Amino acid sequence: MNAPVRRDAFSVGAAPLPIADAAIRFESVGKVFPGRSGQGEVAALQGIDLAVPKGAILGVIGRSGAGKSTLIRLVNGLERASSGRVLLDGEDVTNLTEAGWRARRRSTGMIFQHFNLLSSRTVFDNVALPLEIGGIPKAEIKARVEKLLDLVGLADKSGRYPAELSGGQKQRVGIARALATEPKVLLCDEATSALDPETTQSILALLKRVNRELGITILLITHEIPVIKEICDRVAVIEGGRIVEQGETFPIFTRPQHPTTARFVETVTGVELPAHLTERLHQQAQPGDSAVVRITFTGENATAPVISRLSTTIGVDVNILAGRIDAIAGQPFGSLLVSVPAQEPALSAILGALNSLNLKAEVIGHVS
Amino acid sequence: MSPEIIRLIVQATGDTLLMVAVAAGLGTVFGLPLGVFLATSKRGELFAAPAVNAALGALVNATRSTPFIILVVAIIPFTRLIAGTSIGTNAAMVPLTIAATPFIARLIEGAIREVDQGLVEAARSMGATPLQIVRKVLVPEALPAITLGLTLAIVSLLGFSAMVGAVGGGGLGDLGIRYGYQRFMPDVMGVVVAVLIVLVQTVQSIGDRLARRLNKRLRHA
Repeated sequence: MNAPVRRDAFSVGAAPLPIADAAIRFESVGKVFPGRSGQGEVAALQGIDLAVPKGAILGVIGRSGAGKSTLIRLVNGLERASSGRVLLDGEDVTNLTEAGWRARRRSTGMIFQHFNLLSSRTVFDNVALPLEIGGIPKAEIKARVEKLLDLVGLADKSGRYPAELSGGQKQRVGIARALATEPKVLLCDEATSALDPETTQSILALLKRVNRELGITILLITHEIPVIKEICDRVAVIEGGRIVEQGETFPIFTRPQHPTTARFVETVTGVELPAHLTERLHQQAQPGDSAVVRITFTGENATAPVISRLSTTIGVDVNILAGRIDAIAGQPFGSLLVSVPAQEPALSAILGALNSLNLKAEVIGHVS
Repeated sequence: MSPEIIRLIVQATGDTLLMVAVAAGLGTVFGLPLGVFLATSKRGELFAAPAVNAALGALVNATRSTPFIILVVAIIPFTRLIAGTSIGTNAAMVPLTIAATPFIARLIEGAIREVDQGLVEAARSMGATPLQIVRKVLVPEALPAITLGLTLAIVSLLGFSAMVGAVGGGGLGDLGIRYGYQRFMPDVMGVVVAVLIVLVQTVQSIGDRLARRLNKRLRHA
């Protein structure tokens, strides 16, 4: 774990993007925090190279303490980089003054895990807050806020206070508020982590709509892999202040290279062997055993009628033990556990047939 | 009780209310910015000025730890400078205001510190200036707590105002000491105490009700 990791060693499909295409770009960014008295400095981020293409949704996933909160706050100057450069829309913002950042922040929206709505203001006045701060005339504020509340589906809650809303409704207000200044970039800080799964889905759908319809680039941080799976075009995995793997979501999910990534994705892509079979699984084949094979479907092959083809062309019985087909970043992806006769040459024929279909097939053990 | 005494009680009640109102009003005028500053000027905060914060904090503590009756006597020259005299209702307003200001400042500091830092971060993320954060976020969000704090301050000032009676201030305390105690008129003393009780009860229930109305956090759909 402590061996030096080359930054690009685990990058999958992460060809450096031309600067002109990046809404947000980090170049070897580091961040150190002064330690508490008597202790040394704490490195929160090290050697971050990351580009968020314009119009994309990029998710940064990591456990708490991995540095993702610091990372997202570098984009609107709530934290400043200690080294390296941060570029927004091609412009170097690393050394902006606080006043310069204030102007910048008006073109960057942010939503939060705990919504951070003002309890003393109504829904309408919460959404109006960034516009008041920006000195927008009252009449225009009214028009814009009404349009935004319509967009997030809360036009009828305009006069309510946050305490009267559900979590999902509060986050909708947060999104409307973040969009009020018509930003080009939306930062989502664990935006769905305080919500139940169903509400999470509706908020993610709204974020996707915001991205597609308004063309807003989204950078989100989360510790929940389903969030990445649902809406992110690209993903970066962060651990110990370093990005250990990044690239397009689908290849990262289907062929994770780094162990941390693998642990994250297996919760949504992996298929567990049923408990009664796990106990009986052994590595050495004995006469009369069946082989347990894990077949991984990706992309267009995910929908191929593989099992029936095996039965008809090779003439073996295929017994399905467990399986799931899911969509990752909009593309189908599946995993299937089957048991097939373990004796040769049938087994080799089966594996050969699967490989010829471009499916990944591996024998994970035998059962009697 | 003679009409003369009743007239005196009415007059004294008016004086007390005036003294407390002026001291609470001026105390808030000075105490609000002081309290906001104390709550926002430690290291890493909006108006970070740790040295000034520490100095003002020490001054506030010094004033608050001086017993009120000693404060009244100690600042007599200053009282003369401001009010032209050290005796009577107007003069009493000076020490009352000086005692009220650091008290109110601490109450407001406490109320502001209770505001969720996430709201400050949200406002910063919108490009708000520190002053906008104070005006649009910190003070409005702390308003229910500030209201309760001011209620407490007014109740304390009612007690203090009775104390200045001992050193020649006006109002109910003065009346109670001169008539109730020195002239052995227990009925006057009784009325003075009763009026003070009614005043405190009234202030407290108005304050509670106002704070409850301002607090939008406890409503449910």
